[in-house]
Amino acid sequence: MNTILKMSGIKKVFAGVIALDDVNLELEKGEIHALIGENGAGKSTLMKILLGMYQRDGGEIEFKGQKINFKSPAEALESGISMIHQEISLVPNMTVAENIWLGREKQFKKGAMIDIRKRHEKTEKLLHGLEIDVKPNVPVKNLSVAEMQLVELARAVSYDADIIIMDEPTSALTTKEVELLYKITRNLAKEGVTSVFISHKLEEIFDICDRVTVLRDGHFIKTDYCKNISNDQLIKMIVGRELKDIYPKVQPKYGDVALEVKHLCKTGVFDDISFEVRSGEILGFAGLMGAGRTEIMRSIFGMERPDSGEIYIHGKKVHIKRPKDAVENGIGMVTEDRLRTGSIYTLSVIGNTTLASLGQITNRLELYSPKKELKEFTKVSGKLSVKYSSPKELIGNLSGGNQQKVIIARWLLKNVDILIMDEPTRGIDVGSKSEIYQLMADLANQGMAIIMISSEMPELLGMSNRIVVVRGGKLVFECSRQEADQETLIAHAFDI
Amino acid sequence: MQKQREELKLKLGVTSFLMEYKVFLVLAVIVVALCCMTPLFWTSQNLFNILRQVTVTTVVAAGFTLVLAIGAIDLSVGSVLGFVGIMMAFMLQAGVPVGVVIIAGVIMGIGTGLLNAFLVTAFKLPAFIVTLAMSSIYRGLCYVTTGMEAVYGLPEDFLFFGQGYVGVVPFPVFIMIATIIVMYIVVNRTAFGRHVIAMGGNEEATRACGINVNRTRYGVFGVIGGCAGLASIILTARSASAQVTAGTNMEMDAIAAVVIGGTSLMGGNANVLGTLAGCLIVGVVNNGLNLMAVDSNWQVVAKGLLILFAVILDSVSAQVFKKSQIKQAAQKSN
Repeated sequence: MNTILKMSGIKKVFAGVIALDDVNLELEKGEIHALIGENGAGKSTLMKILLGMYQRDGGEIEFKGQKINFKSPAEALESGISMIHQEISLVPNMTVAENIWLGREKQFKKGAMIDIRKRHEKTEKLLHGLEIDVKPNVPVKNLSVAEMQLVELARAVSYDADIIIMDEPTSALTTKEVELLYKITRNLAKEGVTSVFISHKLEEIFDICDRVTVLRDGHFIKTDYCKNISNDQLIKMIVGRELKDIYPKVQPKYGDVALEVKHLCKTGVFDDISFEVRSGEILGFAGLMGAGRTEIMRSIFGMERPDSGEIYIHGKKVHIKRPKDAVENGIGMVTEDRLRTGSIYTLSVIGNTTLASLGQITNRLELYSPKKELKEFTKVSGKLSVKYSSPKELIGNLSGGNQQKVIIARWLLKNVDILIMDEPTRGIDVGSKSEIYQLMADLANQGMAIIMISSEMPELLGMSNRIVVVRGGKLVFECSRQEADQETLIAHAFDI
Repeated sequence: MQKQREELKLKLGVTSFLMEYKVFLVLAVIVVALCCMTPLFWTSQNLFNILRQVTVTTVVAAGFTLVLAIGAIDLSVGSVLGFVGIMMAFMLQAGVPVGVVIIAGVIMGIGTGLLNAFLVTAFKLPAFIVTLAMSSIYRGLCYVTTGMEAVYGLPEDFLFFGQGYVGVVPFPVFIMIATIIVMYIVVNRTAFGRHVIAMGGNEEATRACGINVNRTRYGVFGVIGGCAGLASIILTARSASAQVTAGTNMEMDAIAAVVIGGTSLMGGNANVLGTLAGCLIVGVVNNGLNLMAVDSNWQVVAKGLLILFAVILDSVSAQVFKKSQIKQAAQKSN
């Protein structure tokens, strides 16, 4: 066959963390190629390197037989590689035609003006050729999400692309629209255009793709023809890892029900969520990114308002309208997005730690002394072995793992007895990871109820006493740690 | 190893101290320079004169430090100052006791601030627009209620707050010092102050800590309103009348002083003593130019240059500081 793109030995390091290590990807002309792996496996990073959004730290890229090194996505586009991102990147107020040719109006120039009719005709021809039923002069904001996605596809095609990368192209489409997308992709393949599908849906891969490349933890696992592998084999390749011995072995001691959630609903986000977690228990929330896990937790913690549902804490019904109410009821939350909702970068390590509990050390005049604050701080900072050069150091100077420990320390100091942890070890080195695991085990042992959202299967299986799976905003599966295995959880998360 | 670490800590301490109070260094340099340039400068009479002149701005700027610290802005303080002055003058004319009028002045100021906070919070509006509109409303009310004429005839007791002396020290200076001390304690020793700084640094994260950021915002706007009321008492008493244009552009002077003092316009830090120094720098420079008989219009130019100088100094030194920290961290890990 005719190889069009060859990426070999690609390496990428982010701030000391290896994101890609010796990864290969080979694409043939006119094939539909699936790129698959868990969250954080390195799929996006690899594609961003190909497009020139990131610069690689090692390896080579050969495109149409020539070594290339794109500096920006614009350069990649010009050479014939385009990407359709998961988020719609069209300008809502502009028409379909304007969007497709945005930045390339020169070709329609007539004097100083743009020949709108010529552009209209060319757009019509393009859309017609792709069998996309959208009018060129409609503002994009009037289109459905699926139509927008098809317009993006048309735009990608309009660059005379040799390779089109699609990041979860079917996530917003109905079955009928997915069929249309398949048809368009197959037609393109016949004309020699190569498509790359980044997807979580395994069925989709078997439906349409010729070959599949699996990445895991930044490593290249395998490229093979889809017809040569079974569903189970593919799942094994995706999951693959051995459970490492970084998870503390503790016999759980359960107390009474600390938190009970009944029929929590938020239209279009999650639906009829009911679960309970006991003191001393670690409850794992599995699922794919965007399944609604974070939104459920944000609603329980008062960062968002659910439409309906009830929350009971130690058997007592509570009304949580804002995080303050949650905190007053003994709930703490370590958020997923440390940058936006965790660390406060203008405050010191000590300031970040004591922020939630300054009220505990103020006197009758609402004053506190720095000495008292330091005493409170040392109470918890020692327990967590946070590494810093001075308590007054800004938190931004610490590593991700240490920042995370500071945020956990914040809730320890507040004496919460229910702790929600959303991706507690994301972007954290293995050393800090195991320290955080040990800490979680200790806290549970002391009677804290912990809810852990995680996208890392080993972590879920290693830490949780019980695991629930969320898919499409619904709780679809629940099992104990003993019953759980990676294949079952993945299968429920992916819906296979 | 231990010793090295101690040294490192000390060095870190000195540089960060300099970072925080470099504005005092600037003030000292200017003062020394003026002492050399004109003998009239370093006399107790002149120095108290400077203090007396900066009191109104300083009282407003002290409160404004909190407003900038949460990353907000209040363009209405100048008009509030003028409006409260006129209201107080009317009350005094009507024979209301001085003590009651003074308390009413501060309460009116706090009220305007709470109203600003309400509009910002309840309708999710930017503080910039809300306070811009309110500024126009209060200034308009100044014109409407007075028919564009200043209100005179204030009782002697009241004038003490602007013109009185305790020994050789003008009374308003005490008000100014008290305001600065209270504000310093609020920022550095109360939970509210810490919440203010946290909120300016990252509002979402602060909310996620279980802090009611809306209440913090009400607090901050209440404080700046109260400061405007207090400043209005001093100004009205000093000029022995309520002028319809009193306080015009006061917000700009306050912002300038706060920024010169090292508080970031983006929010997330509050340097109250820096604000005091910022006010003194503006006052000292204006005074120096006066003493050297420079046309007073040049003072406006000088103020602009000062602001530019201050923010450039801040930006450059922050970069140098960051670099030195990275260097130290590198040494530490070796």
